[in-house]
Amino acid sequence: MVKTLGWLTAAALAAGLVMAFGVAPREVTQGNVQRIMYVHVPLILASYVAFVVLAVASLVYLVRRDPAADGVAHASGEVGVMFVGLGIATGSIWGKPTWGTWWTWDARLTSVAILFVMYLGYLLLRGTIDDPERAARYCAVLGIVAALDIPLVHFSVYWWRTLHQPPSLMKPGGFTGSSSILWPLLVNLLAFILLYVYFVARRARLLRAQAEAIA
Amino acid sequence: MPDHWSFVAAAYGLTAAVLLIYWRRLATKEREVEASKRLNAERSREPSITGHPRSEPASRTPLQQNQRPGAPLP
Repeated sequence: MVKTLGWLTAAALAAGLVMAFGVAPREVTQGNVQRIMYVHVPLILASYVAFVVLAVASLVYLVRRDPAADGVAHASGEVGVMFVGLGIATGSIWGKPTWGTWWTWDARLTSVAILFVMYLGYLLLRGTIDDPERAARYCAVLGIVAALDIPLVHFSVYWWRTLHQPPSLMKPGGFTGSSSILWPLLVNLLAFILLYVYFVARRARLLRAQAEAIA
Repeated sequence: MPDHWSFVAAAYGLTAAVLLIYWRRLATKEREVEASKRLNAERSREPSITGHPRSEPASRTPLQQNQRPGAPLP
């Protein structure tokens, strides 16, 4: 099952690359550097998915005390931190030639940096508590509280004046650009969500196996 | 505006490298856990030095679980 998902993800990622470099046109104002969007936006949106799943799984853990829910939350947090970190890095690389700077403390960038640090703290908290039950309980609470930053990140571009452009996909009225840009973006988004599911499935399975080996 | 292909390559290259490293790390840890499980299963099957069969890990008392292999019984 996980192996099939892995092959499906690999095929989707390959299709995403073909769409980003072979199908999507050269953007008129930014030139080819705009192709970074096809990796940057899916990474950030997939990290939103990861943190929402983490919050839901944490809630399930607090209600039912089910170790499987904690495993999903842990795995989702790890993959989410990796995705948001990559999203920040690719955004910074895109920002240098287009904005003229690697980083600026505007509302979107600052709120996403806070999101990254909070979930990094979530993973560190797991590592510092020896008792697995207590670590799961504390992290579940932190995972739910940290999820409150997701709407702040998303709507920051509307609530404050920022250098960052408004959302491309998740905005009122939907995507307004050309379909030749929309489809490559959607294929890459699907590919990164599949990659997220694949990584979480494998990581959760590994956490279960590690717990069984210790018991 | 110039194309800045080097920035495109850096963004895609960094993403590919990090994802690949994470994927390999998962595979390595999976192999380690499998090896550790196999070793535990083999240890539980081999006879103890006293000639008595070793009990299954789940049926051992907490004292037996903490005991080092080969150490004299208290």
